[in-house]
Amino acid sequence: MNAYGTTTQHVFKAIFIFSLSILLQSAGTFAQTPAPPQSGPVAITGGTIHTVTQGVIPGGTVLFDDGKIIAVGQDVEIPGHTEIIEADGRHVFPGFIHGRSTIGLMEIARIRESTDLQEVGQINPNIRARVAFHPASEHLPVAAVHGVTTVVPTPRGSLIAGMPAAMMTDGWTWEQMTLREELAMVVEWPSMDDTDQYREAFGSLKQAFDKARRYKVARSAQQQGNEQHHPYDSRWEAMDPVLEGEMPVFLSVGELRQIQAAMAWAEKEKLKIVLVGNRDLGLVADQLAEKNIPVMLSGVIAGPARQWEGYDEGYKTPLLLHEAGVDFCIAGDMGAASTYRIHHHAASAVAFGLPEQQALEAITINAARILGIDDLVGSIEPGKHATLMITDGNPIELWTSKEQVFIKGRRIEMVDKHKRLYEQYHLKHQQKEKNK
Amino acid sequence: MSIFSASKNTFTHNIQIKMIRQLIFTLFLVLIFSWDIHAQTERAIGLRENTPAVFAFTNADIVTGPGRVIRGGEVIVRNGTIEAAGSGLDIPSDASVIDLDGRMVYPGFIDIMSHYGMPEPEEEEGLHYWNPQVRAHYRSAEFFRPDEEQAADLRSQGFVVVNTASCNGLFRGTGSIVSLGDGDAARMIIRQDIVQHMGFRPSEKLGKGYPASGMGAIALIRQSLLDAGWYVAAHSAFDANPALDRPETNKTLDAIAGARKSMTPFIVEVENENWFLRAAAIAGEFDLNMWIVGSGHEYRRLEAIAQTGMPVILPLAFPEAPDVTTPEKSINVSLETLRHWYLAPENPSRLADSGLMVALSSYGSEGNFLKNLQAAVERGLDKDKALAALTTIPAKMLGIDNRYGAIAEGNAASFIIADDDIFDGPSGIREVWVDGKRYVIKAEQEKPCGTWQISSGTDLDGAELDLQGASGKISLEDQGTRLTWVKANEQRVNIGFVGDSIGLEGFYNLSANLSADELLGLGKKATGDFFTWMARRTGQAGTADDRPQRPYSRLELPRRYPSMEYGLASPPEQPAHVIIRNATIWTQGPAGILENADMLIEQGQITAVGHNIAAPRRSLEIDASGMHVTPGLIDPHIHTSITGGVNETGDAITAETRITDVLHGDNVWIYRLLAGGITSATLFHGSANPIGGQNAVIKMRWGQLPDQLTIEDAAPGLKMALGENVKRLASRYPGSRQGTEQIIRDAFQAALEYNDAWSRWEKQSKGMPPRRDLQLEAILEVIKGERKAHVHAYRQDEMLMMMRLAEEFGFTVGSFEHTLEGYKIADELREHGAGAVVWTDWSSFKVEAYDGILYNARLLNEAGVLTSLHSDNTQLSTRMNWEGAKTMMTGVSETDAMNFITLHPAKIMGIDHRVGSLEAGKDADFVIWNGHPMSTFSIPEQTWVDGKKYFDRKEDRVLQTAVKKERALIINRIHEEAQ
Repeated sequence: MNAYGTTTQHVFKAIFIFSLSILLQSAGTFAQTPAPPQSGPVAITGGTIHTVTQGVIPGGTVLFDDGKIIAVGQDVEIPGHTEIIEADGRHVFPGFIHGRSTIGLMEIARIRESTDLQEVGQINPNIRARVAFHPASEHLPVAAVHGVTTVVPTPRGSLIAGMPAAMMTDGWTWEQMTLREELAMVVEWPSMDDTDQYREAFGSLKQAFDKARRYKVARSAQQQGNEQHHPYDSRWEAMDPVLEGEMPVFLSVGELRQIQAAMAWAEKEKLKIVLVGNRDLGLVADQLAEKNIPVMLSGVIAGPARQWEGYDEGYKTPLLLHEAGVDFCIAGDMGAASTYRIHHHAASAVAFGLPEQQALEAITINAARILGIDDLVGSIEPGKHATLMITDGNPIELWTSKEQVFIKGRRIEMVDKHKRLYEQYHLKHQQKEKNK
Repeated sequence: MSIFSASKNTFTHNIQIKMIRQLIFTLFLVLIFSWDIHAQTERAIGLRENTPAVFAFTNADIVTGPGRVIRGGEVIVRNGTIEAAGSGLDIPSDASVIDLDGRMVYPGFIDIMSHYGMPEPEEEEGLHYWNPQVRAHYRSAEFFRPDEEQAADLRSQGFVVVNTASCNGLFRGTGSIVSLGDGDAARMIIRQDIVQHMGFRPSEKLGKGYPASGMGAIALIRQSLLDAGWYVAAHSAFDANPALDRPETNKTLDAIAGARKSMTPFIVEVENENWFLRAAAIAGEFDLNMWIVGSGHEYRRLEAIAQTGMPVILPLAFPEAPDVTTPEKSINVSLETLRHWYLAPENPSRLADSGLMVALSSYGSEGNFLKNLQAAVERGLDKDKALAALTTIPAKMLGIDNRYGAIAEGNAASFIIADDDIFDGPSGIREVWVDGKRYVIKAEQEKPCGTWQISSGTDLDGAELDLQGASGKISLEDQGTRLTWVKANEQRVNIGFVGDSIGLEGFYNLSANLSADELLGLGKKATGDFFTWMARRTGQAGTADDRPQRPYSRLELPRRYPSMEYGLASPPEQPAHVIIRNATIWTQGPAGILENADMLIEQGQITAVGHNIAAPRRSLEIDASGMHVTPGLIDPHIHTSITGGVNETGDAITAETRITDVLHGDNVWIYRLLAGGITSATLFHGSANPIGGQNAVIKMRWGQLPDQLTIEDAAPGLKMALGENVKRLASRYPGSRQGTEQIIRDAFQAALEYNDAWSRWEKQSKGMPPRRDLQLEAILEVIKGERKAHVHAYRQDEMLMMMRLAEEFGFTVGSFEHTLEGYKIADELREHGAGAVVWTDWSSFKVEAYDGILYNARLLNEAGVLTSLHSDNTQLSTRMNWEGAKTMMTGVSETDAMNFITLHPAKIMGIDHRVGSLEAGKDADFVIWNGHPMSTFSIPEQTWVDGKKYFDRKEDRVLQTAVKKERALIINRIHEEAQ
């Protein structure tokens, strides 16, 4: 905390005045309006730049134009007509990346009509999440103003659930918000509690991959001149990049036996995988490191899975992975409304021993690398998107304020439903006071 | 077929003499078996049966009662009754003599708990209580039908008499003491209606409505007992003054009142040691004569159980070993399960030594009663106590000790004949006699195992055959060969072997029938020639000791309260004086946050907070330099540590239910909450009902019994609920928020009228006495302001409705719970005076939660509403400091944020006179943090309750290792025993 120059007595800042002034300027607006594209060069100067990958630069400058970072350092030459944002005493961080969420696919959990997470059937490799990504979801601005600039709406609920995409949390349409299209294939490892049900489910999974391979053989033969015609199959067509090893499988696992079974299966199928889970991953950390299997942690804040486990068992998984040398990132729980606080999961691991830098990397550059978007986001480096935030302190501490967030150079409006209703009912209170 | 095999003695030359004797007995048996028992008043059909029934059992080791053995004695039985038992008795000349050849005779066992011969419940009509779970009027004797299969199972475990009753309902009706013979019900019933039966689990066979929870069951039992009292009073008032409104006629209440008056024992089935104590509490509340059917878990709280002084009927049912056959399976087994597997067989001895009256029972033992009995003896149960617990004690309890429970003159001829000491090993019971009637438990079986001399059969003449189960050997003139196969049962044997290595040619296949000690059979040679053969027994099979080998030493498991992971051997000590030095102390009082400050604690209370405090010598000094000390965190809304369901869904108005009735401390989450700095919490009924139940306010006194967890002087509370949850059931009123107001109003109105009725009675004391209604009493307390209403609500409209309704009835809502839209009516809340208990950021999981905002706590607090955070979730509750930090994110000061999780909930729960801040005079409930308590990077180092350290991060590491080791120790034992 000292690195951020904050004291325990002054943890909340003038940030409010800052964001409220924006709100008042756009009085009458009751939804966050997507920001316009960057219209000229912007330089954030005087703050401490936390590049994540290239160290910390006190009194540094980040210069960006046309959505991209041009220069980072202490002696950056600032061209004329550049908009200067003074950030003395402030900190600049890359935006957070949430690797697995229902955001954009679900508005209110118990209202079926407001959810688009799960398709009919167990084998849905052709499903593309981003085409159902709801740009006007109230949860997106909440995430954005808290520094979560990249989210990965993830289909779920079937063995092969479909393909998530990386989306920016501000924009007018899903097309505009797409950071990178289909990133991976989601496979949800079936429960192994009931042997018969498991055998059946595992059989379906194996069969799907087998069918996709047969389809691939037949279609390539056709392309290479075989006269036999094989009609298009949308499911098996979608699996091609997975079979080619181009697209990773995000393999979600619940407990030890599932982890073991999933790893063995992926090895046999020669797949590129990312294990998604938390429970028991610490137990097999050595194997994960040895096999170079990356891990996406589905939340850190969790109680122990078993009665005998220590109270801190869940929180220790990131530390165990780190110590074993596993490449991992942290995604929060999947909740749309809680996507905004992914940093809380990362920070909670720090309370139980994970180095702070690791926690930060787990929701920035590591997440970017595991998702395959580290050429665009995840750190403050020239050439990457100007997707970053100005804060008054350590951004993974809950009490820290995110003063301004930029997504691809666009300065986003720092207002969400929470602030909007705050303002509205604050007004009600004031009206009543005056009437007295 | 002979009666007794020679399995006890090795082969002797007089075997043939014995065989002849046994043959005579066998003929005898046929006669005995034809003797049937009918009611004396029944008309004889056909020929009368008049076979004599006089027996003399000789050469017996007679255990006449606990600690009393007659070696080589005789028992004389005449017409179902023991005429004499002793040594050197004259054998009556009319007696048939049965030589027991040194076998043991024990009094037959008596089981006080069974459902033997009881039918499934049928829908009853009649003058019964309104709730079908209350059926004290049910007389088991009227429905009892002997069931030979069940009787045989019970007899096979040594039982001759059982008390049987229905297994359904909370009040299950009377028991019947029946003999386990196979005659008519009329002859089997020994006594009836001397006990009443109860249980705490409602039976679905009787209906699925109210009660649907443990607390509902207890509430209904309590109300039924009160109603029975009223019923008697009402009828006597009516008898004295027939001009009064005639009270109802109710057989059930009549039965309950009668049983209470005559101090009839209520036999209560319980699921664990906590239910045992709950039953005892009810017995105390209503002065009931109660016997408990134990659960096998009594050892876990033996001191408290012993203090109840209640007779225990203890079923010998032990858990199977948990599956630890793979590392993946073993990882899922809790220490609690492992400990119980290991310690359960010790429970009988511990309980028997506790001073309580204990009767043993086969209830739930599924045919393993004897095996479990032997295991219990091996684990310390005194044999004489065991025998007493199966004979003299139950006989006395049931008032049949003049006829059962001992081998004595005039007693029923109901006894056990066993090969050996039945407490020692599975030597087994040979026969059980019930009222002079013989039942063979283990029939003699000829076994072909042993050595045989082949005496004819061509070239096999003189060969020696050695049969050992599924294998064997044949030898001829010093040459031997293994048999290719041996197939044998008690009647036939079939073998095959290759004869070449013993001087024969090719393959031989022989079969034979077993007749006493002779084999008579047919053989076939490789040539295809058949031949007959015979063999005589020359030796018995070696009597392999099939007693389970237990070469393992006794495991020394530490005492743990509760008996599970992280349980404590003894409660933490309370040092006389504790001084905390150099800490940043968050007083949450007028002193604010003090840097480099000290806090003095004496006998569990804070006596000074400030700078440079002098402490008595020998104070325990804690240097907290660089650390923060805050009040223990308080969560005003969780649902953990509640047994039998958190909602009583059987009705919409259930104010009579009490969480304190079903509270338990055996929950590892209490320890985990301490690890997160929580020291107090409110445990609530769920939100299914507009008026739910009465809450419990507890401290996290890990390891303590339920009644030691509660804060006695906390404000009483009643959970209520509005909005989506209460209208979710389509079949039940209310179906809308409109109806929710009406049903609450209706209940309030009824409570007022109840109040009027009692006021009139208290003034005039004449007429029909009013009936006590525990539901209306709780509601009335709310209206009178003696009990706080804590109202689950999301939307502003429903909260406004509730406030206006409360105002109409003249009280103030204690708090709204969840209060998602509280910020929309912050002024109204403040003006009414209701507290607001809120989440920080739970929203959007349902429609009524869609407008939940992060700024809720801030807006409420700024408007002057008493604002508190809560979790409603045990895991979230372990990190309430982070919830506080989330409100700081919205602009709340750190002191206010800390108030939200300490002082404010204390005020809402009515415990702020004791906890919630660190000030002189308050309880020493505090947390030592390794950093700023609102930082996400900070966690508790120590958590103290009542000046006792219940959590210490350093000690936790030791505990975690100890848990791991103890699990491994027991898992290893399971592996060893499986070998």
